[in-house]
Amino acid sequence: MVQYSLDAAFGALSDATRRGILERLGGGDASITELAERFGMTLTGLKKHVAILEEAGLVATEKVGRVRTCRLGPRRLDDEATWIEQYRLMLEARLDRLGDYLARTKGKP
Amino acid sequence: MSKSNLTTPAEKQIRVERIFDAPRERVWKAMTDSKQLAQWWGRGHKLDVESNDVRPGGKWRFVEHGPDGKFGFSGTFKEVKAPEKLTLTFGFDGMPGKESINELRLEELSGGRTRMVATITFESRQDRDGMLKSGMQEGMDQSYAALDKLLAA
Repeated sequence: MVQYSLDAAFGALSDATRRGILERLGGGDASITELAERFGMTLTGLKKHVAILEEAGLVATEKVGRVRTCRLGPRRLDDEATWIEQYRLMLEARLDRLGDYLARTKGKP
Repeated sequence: MSKSNLTTPAEKQIRVERIFDAPRERVWKAMTDSKQLAQWWGRGHKLDVESNDVRPGGKWRFVEHGPDGKFGFSGTFKEVKAPEKLTLTFGFDGMPGKESINELRLEELSGGRTRMVATITFESRQDRDGMLKSGMQEGMDQSYAALDKLLAA
């Protein structure tokens, strides 16, 4: 199984347009042009958002002829088990940092 | 394959335990003091502590600046019992409607060390409603259909 970085997914979800794109694709596939029109963006701007979503595994794209079609990717964050697993990874990363911080500031109040 | 039977999910829980080489008061302060939180909570990213009202009913909101953008986490403190127990709700901007309840307990150990036990419960009704709304049923049916195909191959 391909592992996508947690930060990539969270970074991808941190933007309202990108969340809108995911919501739109949840209702069915769409071309880059359709998405650009819907979100009132240039093709270049929209492609940047799609690239970030694609890198996070949240969106997959396929080019047929001159049309690039987007659909929801292999990583489904609406899957509860996935969310819980990611949560656990995030929590462990935070606690690692807390451990480092406490070691670094040892002896201080 | 028949439609997935999506019933009320059972409570989902994770539990993480850590031992820190620091006294309990120190760990509590690192977990609750805004300035100290900013030093570690962002996992190495810059962190804005927008609010951190550590008392029952008080709100908290932290914004982490990741490489691809900012992401916000927020919730409400439920139980504040210094320096041993902190219970709060935890939500992420990117996953509206998915909230968990986090219970953090600190236990004093010998040698000035502290054991933290974090129990995270994913159980809200919002969570369930959010999933139903987001077409989880349909997604599950599609996944199961794909799995059936794979197993039959």
